[in-house]
Amino acid sequence: MRLKPGEQPTRRLAHLWNEAACIGCAACIVSCTATNNPEMLYRADAGRGGVASNIRRYEGVTAQGRPTLLLNQCAHCDEAPCMKTCPFGAVYRDENGLVRLDSRRCAGCKYCVTSCPYNARWVHPDTSLPMKCMGRGCLALVAAGQKPACVQACPANARDFGDLNDPESSVSRTLRTKRHRTLLPNSGAKPKYFIVEEV
Amino acid sequence: MSELPPLVFQAPIADWGWQIAWFFWFVAIGGGLAVAYWQVRRAAVAFTVFVTTAAGLLLVFFHLGRWWNMPVVLWELIRAGEFNFGSWMFLGVIILTVHLLLGAVSAYAHLEDVGLYLPFGDRVREAAEGAFFRGVFAASGVLAVVYSGFLLTQAHGIPLWGTALIPILWLISSAVAAVAMLELFYVLGLVEERVSVFGMKLGLGLDALKLIAVLAFLHVSLTAMSAAARAGAAEMVAGSLAWMTWGGVVGVGLVVPILLAGLMLRYGKSKGLMAVSSVSALAGVLFLRASVLLAGAWEPLLG
Repeated sequence: MRLKPGEQPTRRLAHLWNEAACIGCAACIVSCTATNNPEMLYRADAGRGGVASNIRRYEGVTAQGRPTLLLNQCAHCDEAPCMKTCPFGAVYRDENGLVRLDSRRCAGCKYCVTSCPYNARWVHPDTSLPMKCMGRGCLALVAAGQKPACVQACPANARDFGDLNDPESSVSRTLRTKRHRTLLPNSGAKPKYFIVEEV
Repeated sequence: MSELPPLVFQAPIADWGWQIAWFFWFVAIGGGLAVAYWQVRRAAVAFTVFVTTAAGLLLVFFHLGRWWNMPVVLWELIRAGEFNFGSWMFLGVIILTVHLLLGAVSAYAHLEDVGLYLPFGDRVREAAEGAFFRGVFAASGVLAVVYSGFLLTQAHGIPLWGTALIPILWLISSAVAAVAMLELFYVLGLVEERVSVFGMKLGLGLDALKLIAVLAFLHVSLTAMSAAARAGAAEMVAGSLAWMTWGGVVGVGLVVPILLAGLMLRYGKSKGLMAVSSVSALAGVLFLRASVLLAGAWEPLLG
C-alpha cells in the first residue's frame, strides 16, 4: 500500500549484514536473483558485468593492505532521494517502510538510478525498469511472514531482516548490542541498511 | 590521482550520456534564442526555438527506457491526482511543454515571413511581438535552461553534479549558443548586420565568462570533499575526458571563437570566420554538457 505524503509507516523493515560473519560465498546474491529475477540468472548486468542482482559485491584493499569485501543493496532510506526525484511518483514508500516501485508509473527515465547515493539500482534489459531490493519474490516471502531470500540462504547467519520499530525484533536487538554503521552517513538519506562490525 | 578509489561511472548504467547531452544542447539553443527574441524578432529565431525545443523533447522522450508506457503514466497521474512538484524532472516536463507551445506560437506568427499565410496570422503576430508575450517567452527560455542544470544538481547519487555552478554554467553557455546562432543567421543572411556586430562583442564577453565558470567548476570539483567529485573532475582535467575538456570545451568552444572574434574586431568582419567561430562555439556548448555528464560517478563505497 502506498503511503500518502506525511503518513508514517507502521513498520520500519530493515536489512542488516554482518561483515564480520560473512564468508563471501555469494549465496545471498544468487538467491536474490533466483527469487526475484530468475530470468537473469544466466545473463550479466549490462552496466556492470556479473550477475544482475539486487545485492552488489564490492572488493577492495584497506589502507593497511588487507582485502575487504562489501555487500550493498537498497537501504530503503527514510529520506530516500529516489522518491523525491521520481517525476511521476513511481517510487513510493509502503506501510512497512520499504521503498518500492510502481511499474505502471515508471517511464524509464533512470532519475532514480542517478539519485541513489548507494548506486543500488540496475536497469532490467527487458523491461527497462530500475530494479532493486526488494523484488517481487522477496516481497511475497515477507508478506507470508518469512525472511527475504538472502537472509534464508546465508549459511553464516550474516544477514537479518526485521522491524526497527519493534524493540524485540532480532535486528533491533543486534543494533542495540553490536557495533554497526551505515554507508555514507552524511548523504542525508537516512539509510536503513546496517553493517554490523562484530560477530 | 592514483590514490583515488576506482569509480563506477553513471553513463554505462543510467545511460545519461551523449543523447542527454544533445538534449541539453537543444534546450540551451532554444532557451537562449527565446531570450534573444525579445530583441531580435525574426523568423529564423522563432523557427529555431521551436525546432530545437521540439528536437530536444523528442530526443529525451525516446531516451526514456519505457516511453511507450507514457500514456499509462499520465493516466495514473491524473487518476490519482498526485504530481511530484518537488522533482526537477517533473517541473522540466511542464517548463519544456510551455516553452514548446510558446515556440510554436512565435513560429506561427512568423510563417508569413516565408510566404505562408495561415488563419489568424496577423493577430498571432501582433500578440507574439508584444512585450508580454516576449517577456513570458524569454522567461520560459531561461527556465528551460535553468531546469536542465538543476536536473543534474538534484541527482544526489552523482556528487560531481551537486553544485550550483552547473545551472550557472548552463545559463552562460546557453547565452553563448544564442549569440553563436545569431552570428550564423547573419552569415546565412537571415538577420541584419547590426545584430551580428552586437553579438560578436557580447559573445566575446560571454566566452570569457564561460571560461571562468568552466575553470571554477573544475577547481571546485577537484577540491571537493567528495572523492567521486574529485575523481570525476580529474577525469575531465587529465583523464579519459581531458581531450573533450581541453580540446572541445576550451579549445574549440572558447579559444577558437575568442581568437576569431578578436581578429575580426581588429581587422574587420569575415563571414567565413564568423561561421567557423559560431560552429566552434556551438560545438563547445555540446562538449561541455557531454563531458560533465560522462564524468559523473557514484561516491565509492569502499575506500
